[in-house]
Amino acid sequence: MHMTKKSIAAGALLAVAVLTAGCSNSTTTPAASDTSSAPETNATSTLTVWVDAERADALAQAATDYEAQTGIAVDIVARDNSTLKDDFIQQASSGSGPDIAMGAHDWLGELTTNGVIAPLELGDKASDFLPVALDASTYDGIVYELPYAVENLAMLRNADLVAEPAANFDDMIAKGTAAGVEFPFVVEQGENGNPYHLYPFQTAFGAPVFGRDAAGSYDPTQLTLGDGTAFAQWLYGQGSKGANTISTEITGDIAKEKFTTGQAAFWLTGPWNVKAAVDAGINVAVDAIPSPGSEPAQPFAGVKGFFVNQYSDNKVAANDFLVNYLGTVDVQVALFESGGVLPALTAAADAVSSDPIIAGFKAAGMDAVPMPAIPAMGRVWEFWGIAEASIINGADPDATWAQLTADVQSAIDGS
Amino acid sequence: MTDLRSAPTRSTGMGTLVAKITVLGGLDALAVFLGAVLVSRGDYVIAALVVVGAIVLTVIYLSERLLPAKYMAPGLVFLAIFQVFVIGYTVYIAFTNYSTGHILTQDQAVEALLSQSQRRLPDSPSYSVTVVESNSQLGLLVTAPDGTALLGTADSPLRPVDATFQDGQAVAVEGYTSLRFADLLGRQDEVFSLAVPLADDASAGSLRTLDGRTAYQYTSKLSFDPASETLTDTETGEVYVDGGEGAFVGEDGTEILPGWQVNVGLDNFTRAVSEPSIRGPLVYVTAWTIAFAALSVGIIFALGLLMALLFNDPSMRGRTAYRIVMVLPYAFPAFLGAMVWSGMLSQSFGFINQVVLGGASIPWLTDPTLAKISVLMVNLWLGFPYMFLVATGALQAIPGEVREAARVDGTSRWQMLRHIELPLLLISMAPILIATFAFNFNNFNVIYLVTGGGPRDTGAGIPVGQTDILISLVYKVAFTGQNRDYGLASAFSIIIFIVVAAISVISFRRTKTLEEIS
Amino acid sequence: MSALDLTAARLERSGRRRRRKSHGLRHVAALVLSVYALLPLLYIVSASLNPTGTLTGSNRLFRLVGLDSYRRLLASDQFPFLTWFKNSLVIGLTTAVLSVFLGALAAYAFSRMRFRGRRTGLLTIVLVQMFPQLLAVVAIFLLLTRIGELVPAIGLNTQAGLISVYLGAALGVNTYLMYGYFNTVPTEIDEAARVDGAGHMRIFLTIILRLVAPILAVVGLLSFITSMNDFVIASVVLIDPEKQTLAVGLYRMVSNPNYADWSAFAAGAVMASIPVVALFLFLQKYIVGGLTAGSTK
Repeated sequence: MHMTKKSIAAGALLAVAVLTAGCSNSTTTPAASDTSSAPETNATSTLTVWVDAERADALAQAATDYEAQTGIAVDIVARDNSTLKDDFIQQASSGSGPDIAMGAHDWLGELTTNGVIAPLELGDKASDFLPVALDASTYDGIVYELPYAVENLAMLRNADLVAEPAANFDDMIAKGTAAGVEFPFVVEQGENGNPYHLYPFQTAFGAPVFGRDAAGSYDPTQLTLGDGTAFAQWLYGQGSKGANTISTEITGDIAKEKFTTGQAAFWLTGPWNVKAAVDAGINVAVDAIPSPGSEPAQPFAGVKGFFVNQYSDNKVAANDFLVNYLGTVDVQVALFESGGVLPALTAAADAVSSDPIIAGFKAAGMDAVPMPAIPAMGRVWEFWGIAEASIINGADPDATWAQLTADVQSAIDGS
Repeated sequence: MTDLRSAPTRSTGMGTLVAKITVLGGLDALAVFLGAVLVSRGDYVIAALVVVGAIVLTVIYLSERLLPAKYMAPGLVFLAIFQVFVIGYTVYIAFTNYSTGHILTQDQAVEALLSQSQRRLPDSPSYSVTVVESNSQLGLLVTAPDGTALLGTADSPLRPVDATFQDGQAVAVEGYTSLRFADLLGRQDEVFSLAVPLADDASAGSLRTLDGRTAYQYTSKLSFDPASETLTDTETGEVYVDGGEGAFVGEDGTEILPGWQVNVGLDNFTRAVSEPSIRGPLVYVTAWTIAFAALSVGIIFALGLLMALLFNDPSMRGRTAYRIVMVLPYAFPAFLGAMVWSGMLSQSFGFINQVVLGGASIPWLTDPTLAKISVLMVNLWLGFPYMFLVATGALQAIPGEVREAARVDGTSRWQMLRHIELPLLLISMAPILIATFAFNFNNFNVIYLVTGGGPRDTGAGIPVGQTDILISLVYKVAFTGQNRDYGLASAFSIIIFIVVAAISVISFRRTKTLEEIS
Repeated sequence: MSALDLTAARLERSGRRRRRKSHGLRHVAALVLSVYALLPLLYIVSASLNPTGTLTGSNRLFRLVGLDSYRRLLASDQFPFLTWFKNSLVIGLTTAVLSVFLGALAAYAFSRMRFRGRRTGLLTIVLVQMFPQLLAVVAIFLLLTRIGELVPAIGLNTQAGLISVYLGAALGVNTYLMYGYFNTVPTEIDEAARVDGAGHMRIFLTIILRLVAPILAVVGLLSFITSMNDFVIASVVLIDPEKQTLAVGLYRMVSNPNYADWSAFAAGAVMASIPVVALFLFLQKYIVGGLTAGSTK
């Protein structure tokens, strides 16, 4: 009985195995030819583009239009902004990564060091972009990013509370205080500080992070952060042991809540928050950032754009889509209309500047400098915010700033 | 039901056997097919694993013995493929230099370096091009700025030709087929890598088109010699050789990145144990990690059990409603809860200080001791629903008769809990408690979301804080700035795993004795 | 006699009084715990009702109340919310049922059979889950890419692939939990059934599984919740929007802090909690119901 069971089983197994082996033989040939032609069909049909979730809608129409023009389908894939870069780096070379990814220009250092993005050629179109956008999209002398939008901070003012723009920081605090609201001015900080939002005030005291080399690239050997002692002293004076105009207790959520409910007169923030303020019924005016020092307050510019995967099979189509399509005025204006951020193309930026809010951000960004994308900048971020937060909370400004500079310098030297 | 039960065992046996053979036959057929495909791709190791796996499964289910294996195999298959693979991959990475700048293969790194070394000549005009083909070799038919037509391929430099013009642009030339843009899409790599020399002298540069429409003059700053596997800087003549550590190295020792992934032996482990930046904080971070994990288990278990007992009494009114409330925190994404808690604990604006404590100014997240308490309280909130559910389930295993008997004996509620329920529960829940300990030992998320490790220890050279646990310290050491050192992080996580596993095994030994006593 | 009766009566009365008193205390304790459990959730509900609000910016909860975010989620084309919802339910329920089944099979073997390596096996499956999941996402991406080249049906960007990944955790600490519970079912029941001529599989399927229903329900609920809330692995495995789960789709709305739409996210989270509560309500009768008591009698 047992023998029979086993032999039946073995026989059946053998039969099935032979059968499928036969099948697999007969199917391998067409399968093999399928795989050889597969890249071709893929190549002619679809470009895969990873974008931030909140931009996916803005690009959907552009994708449809491009397909209508060229027959190349564009698959817009909305990704988590927080994991897009690491996922792209890990997947780009595997063959299953996207052809194009959207990202911020300050990723360029990391992406090129990893060798996952291919250079672009803007050709004669290069000069059509805003200088800051072109500057930001260039890394080590080569353009890697098709710039799409420029974001920078500006000072939002509740025009019902304060009618006129402030001349300088102290004037702003005076005007805000005169308006009789709880907070004359709010800026997003948090326990670990937020140096991005304090950078305009730092530059007002003449202390950028890095100097530039002869070619105009940020130079990691010229750490100019240390010149910021005057800024540190000023920051201490604004902190918990001084005027208390800047507090680590003000998180992004709290700053937004205070301004949108009319409890704050001025709000240093980016274009991403304008909609919330307008929707809440605030009469929003956008001003340049009032300087607390002798120099203009320069915010960082962040340039959003698109990169081509070095290992894409569709690089010709990808370049065509980016340079010859997304880099045109009509498309950039259309993207602006659904996204609301200042276009990187000069003509498109001018075309949309009739909107006073956009014009305000554009004017505030006149002096903006691109956030450094060099790897050394990563070392700065590590220590910068925490040092500023402790100065705001009453740590000795001179010593803390000196410690910050030393920590960053040794981290850069050590790597 | 009764029919089935009274039916002769043999006939169901035959039915089962047929089903078994069908399933196993299908499985083995699939394995043979996959094995064949894998062999044809050259993946011999994986092919062998697939075939051996299928044989093992077949033997298990055809054998008359091996009964336990029959029951465990389905779960073990998934465990082996998905969990064990992750561990194996982490171990593998721990022996490589996988990190920023070292994620590619050597071939890919060369491709990337050459691609990045292409420089457009500063005075290069833009040429509009038509891609042409002859004998399946691609060429570029270009219209020079002066309006004349030039033709070249990868092997023959540009030369003037007589071409057919359309709107001032050369579109066709005799002997070549002009390709439309749509035709290029199937051969994009060919088009992209096509470089047409400007002249016989290669140093004059070449014409390339990235988009199939416009071409520019480029020179390459680097050239690669496949024979010697070296890169040469075409301007300075400097030669870069494989330095053996996954990157090309110049004569003065400077590395150029991107590099590639190589095996580095025990380097990552050596670095992990000798890393100077974590020396200082290591002792107190380890102490806090153990305290955090142990205290978390303690309070989560205490509260979960308390609730389970409270709502297990059938005479308690409204217990279904209470139970739902207790499960609710678990039905929301954990990071959302952690963020809300973080906001509620804010010193000046938080709900706890402002509303509950009537305008107090307690530094919940910025005082070293209070921050530790806050993290524990949030972790308790995130964890108690799980423990409540598990304890509720485990409580059902205590037979009602035991309680009845105890009650008849006049045992008080507390005595019953202390001497009857708790020991029984501990036996079935001890493994859960050990696992919860291990989970919290590596509970990166709660630390990251509530305090980010802060308040910062300003004395340390790395941004480590008072609430950092080992795994968050590892993140801060291995993932600094733009650098992602997966190799180092893997080595660290293996070391941490060994520590946790050792603690757990010792604990399990002790529960074993506990179990045997009862 | 009468003295004894009196004592008994007094005892009973004092017992009743004590019970009533302790019930009052219990409700106080339960209410305090409820506040602790619900307070953060109130912020989430409040945020979901305030379309322009923040998550933690204000302690004035429910200042603005409107269903805009819910409407926006349910009606908009840009979020295939109902598809995500359905995907989450399908993936969550499939994972839960299969996890329970695979786990129970193993727990049965561990509990009822004696074999070499039993203790080590039990220990190993728990230890495996203690390994830090630092590189899990990268490893799973690579694995599913390779699997997908061979068997596209369970490769990258398939829900079956994601479920398979989740089933990798089916054997684990929950198996241990079930094992502990199986041990409390007296082996005499198995033996009686075996005498009646039932095979081991029949005993397992028709007798044991019913007796351990409470723990199966708990484990099922836990694995349902785990897969409902996972976005780390799901966001790497599922690429097409119409294949994604609720957690992946919703998380994207807040992953960029500047553009975080907390209102929509909170509304989505509130709706996503409904199936969890519904499943809990459905399973509750198995968890604490009389099934066990009835069968052991």
